[in-house]
Amino acid sequence: MAFDYQTHVFTSTYTADVSGVCSALYELGGMSVLHDPSGCNSTYSTHDEPRWFDTDSLMYVSGLDEITAVMGDDDVLIRDVVQAARDLAPRFITLCGASIPHIIAFDYRGVAYLIEKECGVPVLPVATDGLKSYVSGVGLALTAWLDRFADPGETRNARPGSVNLVGVTPLDFSVNGNVGKLRSALEDAGYYVNCCMAMGDTFETMEKAYRAKVNLVVSSAGRRPARHMKKKGGIPIVEGLPIGPEQTGAVLRAVADTMIDGKDRTAWGSFGNTGRWTVPAGGVLVIGEEIFARSLANAVNLLGGAPAYPFWPDEDEGVPEAELIAAMRGAAVVVADPLYRVALKRDGGTRFVDFPHEAYSGRIYRASLPVFCGPDFSVRGLLE
Amino acid sequence: MLEFRPIGELEYEYNADLGLSYASPVRGVWNIVHIGTLVPEAHEIFVCPTSCLRGVVLTTAEMGAMDRLSTITVGEDNILEGDMEEALQRGTERIIAELPVRPRAMLIYTSCIHHFLAVNYQRVYRVLREKYPDIDFIDCYMDPIMRRTAPAIPSLWRQIHRLLKPGRKVKNQANLVGNCFRYGEYCDLTVMLRQAGITVMDLNTCRTYDEFLRMAASEVNFTFHNTAVRAAKDMKLRLGQEWLPMRPGYDYDAIDEDMRAAADFFGIPGLSPEEIAEERRLTEKAAADTLALLEDTPVSIDYTAVDRPLELALYLMDRGFNVESVFVDVFTEAREVFEALQRRAPELKIYQSLGWNIRRMERGYPGKLLAVGQKSAYFKDTNFFVNIVENDGMYGYRGIRRLMELMREACEAEKPMRELVQIKGWGCGCSFS
Repeated sequence: MAFDYQTHVFTSTYTADVSGVCSALYELGGMSVLHDPSGCNSTYSTHDEPRWFDTDSLMYVSGLDEITAVMGDDDVLIRDVVQAARDLAPRFITLCGASIPHIIAFDYRGVAYLIEKECGVPVLPVATDGLKSYVSGVGLALTAWLDRFADPGETRNARPGSVNLVGVTPLDFSVNGNVGKLRSALEDAGYYVNCCMAMGDTFETMEKAYRAKVNLVVSSAGRRPARHMKKKGGIPIVEGLPIGPEQTGAVLRAVADTMIDGKDRTAWGSFGNTGRWTVPAGGVLVIGEEIFARSLANAVNLLGGAPAYPFWPDEDEGVPEAELIAAMRGAAVVVADPLYRVALKRDGGTRFVDFPHEAYSGRIYRASLPVFCGPDFSVRGLLE
Repeated sequence: MLEFRPIGELEYEYNADLGLSYASPVRGVWNIVHIGTLVPEAHEIFVCPTSCLRGVVLTTAEMGAMDRLSTITVGEDNILEGDMEEALQRGTERIIAELPVRPRAMLIYTSCIHHFLAVNYQRVYRVLREKYPDIDFIDCYMDPIMRRTAPAIPSLWRQIHRLLKPGRKVKNQANLVGNCFRYGEYCDLTVMLRQAGITVMDLNTCRTYDEFLRMAASEVNFTFHNTAVRAAKDMKLRLGQEWLPMRPGYDYDAIDEDMRAAADFFGIPGLSPEEIAEERRLTEKAAADTLALLEDTPVSIDYTAVDRPLELALYLMDRGFNVESVFVDVFTEAREVFEALQRRAPELKIYQSLGWNIRRMERGYPGKLLAVGQKSAYFKDTNFFVNIVENDGMYGYRGIRRLMELMREACEAEKPMRELVQIKGWGCGCSFS
């Protein structure tokens, strides 16, 4: 069956890969350059970056124009970035881009090499295309960073019980205390959080990212870097997000088991979905980023009662709106970002529970975004 | 310091809007989404990749206007298979079928990628017009890659007014074209025309689509902003409406000249020499009162607040104000003004608000500073600021007096700068804060 992923009559869109790149590397002392005409940078800094007003991290748009694109004149970009690097002395530079560089086959790797050669600052080429979601961008950026700066040989220095939190950005966790709760959920259980990729940690901490026994992937954006680290350093992967006491327990059990046997795991059970976009009616529908949605749905199921089903956007295609609306209308309860409410406007039968998600609604509901990580969050209270 | 240069060292051709750019947290200026939603009973469709859609969708959501916008995402498949036209047509048809209320007009925005893939969207619009004759379709553009030759906002003002159909003209009716804000009591032109019984129409006061369409019957279009020039020229050619540009500056003689042209067009009496003298006296008094309050308080001006920041700086300096700086990225004012300011105050600081070095600027000012505009307020880190964008409906002597009044208010009462400057499209009804 062909799904229409493209037409959205009522609903919003998740943020794009380019915002994911900038968000993931924001705190590491680098300079992100978004190769694009204009607009993507202000979209990111307005809607996707809650740290923008209070910090001076570096993110710029290249200002690509028609004639430069047609002529393939990369010198404009190279000259500007080299000069900016000399003025601002970033620790590294990240070069990503949107759809026009993609269709004119912009050579990220080659231009990165030339900039680095010219100014001596390491340059990470991250070939985004502006067509995919932030999940792709965060994953590509963290992977590129780890590949360049983190030493896989550090695995031999990993202390027992050490865990990395992988895939942490404000797009999924905001800046309202979730990250602290995430860390303490692990630390209170006796684990040592080696690195939180990439909020609240430094360039130096991230360099030692391989000093971990387990990578806990807390958002799907963390999958790509975790798989990279498994390939390079053999670190096993647990997927799951501690939301509420029951799901925190499930995550901690999965981490403990993986510490022992080194096998990859997920911290959720089966949901009984009948297809990627088909959800049984009458349950609790959790819409959001994949690992969040699976974890929260699992947390609801651990409580008993009406079954919960996760529903998450495809990294490349997004969400087919017709199937989304059908799933929402069939559910007894929908837990989702408030911007999804428009899809239910004419329906009275479904109860809607607001759960703001920065990667979807940006800054609009930031003030009401819950601190949902860790055992203190009440899943039962959420549904009441 | 790298973030500013004295005006005496700059060339008139200086342009910071070339190459690597920074985006400050200041968001007050309107974008194409805000402007598009001014058309009553219309629905906007944006057709672009995810990275471009994000900004327009959330701008609309912050306005609480999601029921006025739909999107069609451009994906990798469209690029590979070359089926952009089919995706656009299919998507638009689905949107029309599913919208609870049938729109009178649809503004369909294509993006940079459509230019590069030579998409024949005009053919799609032709098909749609035949299939849905009760809906007016208009092609709009969100294509910043074309900004050197066809910038998006002037293009949008033109396209919006292309919804107007040629027809019989009504005597004594005029349009104000290309304004985000209502030009009323603080606009000399509107006051003069209304006093003479001329009907003044403006998109941003139209409540229905039919009312908007009646703008086609006006005899003349008045513009206050450079961004409206394309629309006015197009309307002159297409609808046969005359065009009278009103210079939104601070030069008394230019104001008198433009007002005289407007009066002559309708054959109404303009201001008499005595009335002009009285207007000038009142305006000078307003400036003097403001100076008396501000005394030597430094003033910083930015281009988001007023169209002619250099002319305003010159006006204020000529009257004894201590103008400390101007934030401007491109000089769009007359060379004479630029050169006069160079002679008058060669040390005047010109900041590039888009320049990469301004990100690391030490924001603030030692002591009290009054900012005219949000960017000046942000970079100078002051709560004493005039919170306006795009001239805020001010023109002529009344406009200058209103600006002086706003400066006095700003000097006496602080505003929550951090909250206010981050609101997108100031005055458009955005609810975020």
